Amino acid sequence: MLNRKGFVNIIKSEFLSRVLGRLIRSIAVAFWVMVIAFTLMRLAPGDPALARLGPGAEPEAIELLQKQLRLDVNPLQQFWGYFVELLQGSLGDSLQTSTPVLSLIGQTLPVTIYLILLSTFFALLLSIPIGTAIAWSGRSPLVYGFRTITAMLLAIPNFFLALVGMLFFSVKHNWAPVFGYNTSFPENLRYLWLPVLVNTIIMTSVISRVVFSSIVETKREEFVETGIIRGVGKSRFFWFYILKPSLAPTVVLLSYMMGTMLGATVILETIFSLPGIGRELVTAVLVRDYPVVQGIVLVFGAITVFLSFMGDLVAYYLDRRVKI
Amino acid sequence: MSTQQLVKIDSLKIDVRITRSLRLAIVDTASFDVSKGQILGMIGESGSGKTMLCRSLVGTLERRGAYIASGTLEFEGTSLIGISQDQWRDIRGKKIGYIPQSALAGPNPVMTIGAQLGEAIRQDRDFPKGKIRERALELLDIVQIRRPEVVLKQYPNALSGGMKQRVMIACAIAQNPKLIVADEPTTGLDVTVQAEIMKILLDIRKNFHTSIILVSHDLPLINDICDDIVVMHAGSTVEKLPSSEITRSKHPYTRALYNSRIDLVEPKGKLVTINGQPPTVGKWPLGCKFSERCDFVVEACRTPQVIPLFEISPNHSSACLRYDEIGI
Amino acid sequence: MKEGVMTRFRNWIPMPGSVGIFTGTIMFISLVLAGLIIPNFGPFKANDFVGEPFASMSAKHPFGLDQLGRDVMTRTFAGVPIDLGVAFLGVSIPFIIGTIVGIFLGLAKNRYFINLVGSIIDGVNAFPLLVLAIAMISFFGTGLQSVIIILSITNWARYARIARTRAIVVSQQNYIEAAKTLGYPRWRTIRKHIVPNVSSETIAYALSDFILVIMVVSGLSFLGLAATPPLAEWGSMIAEGRSYLSQAWWITIFPGAALCWAAVSLSFIVEGLSRRDGGM
Repeated sequence: MLNRKGFVNIIKSEFLSRVLGRLIRSIAVAFWVMVIAFTLMRLAPGDPALARLGPGAEPEAIELLQKQLRLDVNPLQQFWGYFVELLQGSLGDSLQTSTPVLSLIGQTLPVTIYLILLSTFFALLLSIPIGTAIAWSGRSPLVYGFRTITAMLLAIPNFFLALVGMLFFSVKHNWAPVFGYNTSFPENLRYLWLPVLVNTIIMTSVISRVVFSSIVETKREEFVETGIIRGVGKSRFFWFYILKPSLAPTVVLLSYMMGTMLGATVILETIFSLPGIGRELVTAVLVRDYPVVQGIVLVFGAITVFLSFMGDLVAYYLDRRVKI
Repeated sequence: MSTQQLVKIDSLKIDVRITRSLRLAIVDTASFDVSKGQILGMIGESGSGKTMLCRSLVGTLERRGAYIASGTLEFEGTSLIGISQDQWRDIRGKKIGYIPQSALAGPNPVMTIGAQLGEAIRQDRDFPKGKIRERALELLDIVQIRRPEVVLKQYPNALSGGMKQRVMIACAIAQNPKLIVADEPTTGLDVTVQAEIMKILLDIRKNFHTSIILVSHDLPLINDICDDIVVMHAGSTVEKLPSSEITRSKHPYTRALYNSRIDLVEPKGKLVTINGQPPTVGKWPLGCKFSERCDFVVEACRTPQVIPLFEISPNHSSACLRYDEIGI
Repeated sequence: MKEGVMTRFRNWIPMPGSVGIFTGTIMFISLVLAGLIIPNFGPFKANDFVGEPFASMSAKHPFGLDQLGRDVMTRTFAGVPIDLGVAFLGVSIPFIIGTIVGIFLGLAKNRYFINLVGSIIDGVNAFPLLVLAIAMISFFGTGLQSVIIILSITNWARYARIARTRAIVVSQQNYIEAAKTLGYPRWRTIRKHIVPNVSSETIAYALSDFILVIMVVSGLSFLGLAATPPLAEWGSMIAEGRSYLSQAWWITIFPGAALCWAAVSLSFIVEGLSRRDGGM
């Protein structure tokens, strides 16, 4: 059994067993995500149905709404109903438009994802070279300037940056439209470039800092010196001894960031009137369309859990030192 | 001398750049030689300059902001001072191998062992590609790693400390170097593992006639394994002697080190220690740097001077003004 | 004597990061002072109509007048206690709750309990803070009060996570075991060793969280979900001025600049502290 093949299989399954453990933890978290999304509505004092319809509403209307929101049964039954519906692939219907929440999400989520993917792509393109170059040179004025500038960029609220950008690019010069959207590519780039720029600036600041500190730490390691002594070729050295050992924290951060970015784009979508899931959430909140709010929150939570899982997985694949 | 020394170090001074204007000496005067096939032990407390000396032999001083200020550093007759990184490429890894401290985690954690051995082997650009795996297995065999085919595919996190060090040794000997510099290779490892690794080093010397500089702070270990010993204190070589003469040392520091060995202590006996701490870099006293801690000190020791190595016999020198009075 | 002082002065090397901490603190304190003095002792009151709407910047009104003829400068600084005050509550309450829960969890022995509460914490942390806050507004209603309550319910989880990890590490340290061997009562060990050690880490997080919460509060107000006009809050002022961006940009920009000033000064402090601890 402990011949060569057997041993190799054991090693392979170590990877798989770690993955499995992580997956189980993610599912547990996802379960709680679902519970929390469900609980939110019931946390607030007072009656949600009443809140939505207003104090002047008729009692029958309130009762009807309560029934629709499953508020007339006890909490456990409520949860069960919710859970069953979820398993059937439904998130309920919008109170405003009666369209299924799932289809609303299906229409708006792609826009947001597109925005985030574009921003992430450009952010990575900029951050890795910048962070690496500054970390590798190590010259203190450069480092000081880098850290100060990124700190400042990060402190500026994204909506303010967006407004300043808008003021400059849309108002003073007509380079970007003030609102609107077109779903087909490449027309939508015209509407997207400013929000993507704002997002990219912020993401680059964060990611390049992590890349920077990661590389600084790797540089100090003994194995880097060993690589120099071993006379490894320049490009190989750069990848295997500098970049790859520094990537794990970056990947983990990235997966966490994408989740936070999802949140931050809410504001950007509102400012630029982009038909994304964030703006949908805000409009739903303003009219107290509970099923929509609940559904979107659930989707957000699920996406974050998924990203975090994938992030840890990729990080472990790249660098065995990662704790899964 | 009919045979040239492999390594010749004389009055070597290494400084380190702290700020643009501030430089500190890390190694004040180091003098010792290494001959072919010799195992030389280097012993000293932290701050004695042992690691910097090792780095000077593999050309990685620049990285740490250090540089050779004066003195002689020769390998196979040619000076290693001020040579370019290109020139270093032909020497380090190929003619001078390096084994880092075991405590510092050794092999690159994001590469498989096989990949790293491959790098060490391919330092010889003409090595046939097809034979790399064979050579890698051969090297793992020399360092006595069981099931080498499996280890080739593993990442360092799957290996124990002892195995990782063995891999480092394997990489170091890949090009059959004439000299191996081993900087505290077994510090922090189990005693049994330590013994195994020392045996591997001895076998390497026996089979390949490789010289080894073995740095440690463990005197009994050095005494057992090494032919000769170089004692460093606060950046200076204070004594050079064959290990067989350790009981007849002619320097108070070496004597103190020898007497403070823990295996000498009787149960319920007192632990012998050396007074004080080694002087910190930058605050070295003028005159003998051991004078503050020495039991043997006289006024003359404290006067500002550079104390030379007095030759007692061809293999034994001591940097103590009272060398002829010691041990009597 | 003079030479002694001069050499001491010349040889004084400031600790790394001091510049940042110093600058940041001065910036922040000056903002807070301006926020206390100008709205209370200045010539105008935040909600008074003092002149022509959309009047540009002048000597009398350095920041101009807004769309209802109110002095933008007074309103901008009136926002200081509101934004910073709400943010402070939104940080300190979660800090207290989270640190306590985290320590408790870190020291707990029951495996099921740990896994259960731990995954709940992970569950809460899975939601981006802003999204969760927005969603909960729909159930709690708009307003700053709701925001504080919502933050207290949700933000504690981030502190709990940090506190728990740290508590586990600290409790495994040798000196804790030493204290136990010496016969110290458990409660004393917790109070004297674990709590300070864990708190130092959560306090550090609290500082950068403060910046985040300021953004969340003003962001929510910007969306119209928290502070509402005529309250002089930065986020809602920025939103109000948005429609007039082309004619009267000062209505938006000055509150925004104050927001940036607060955030930047705090981040300088955070930067300086991290440089002091970690170098580079």
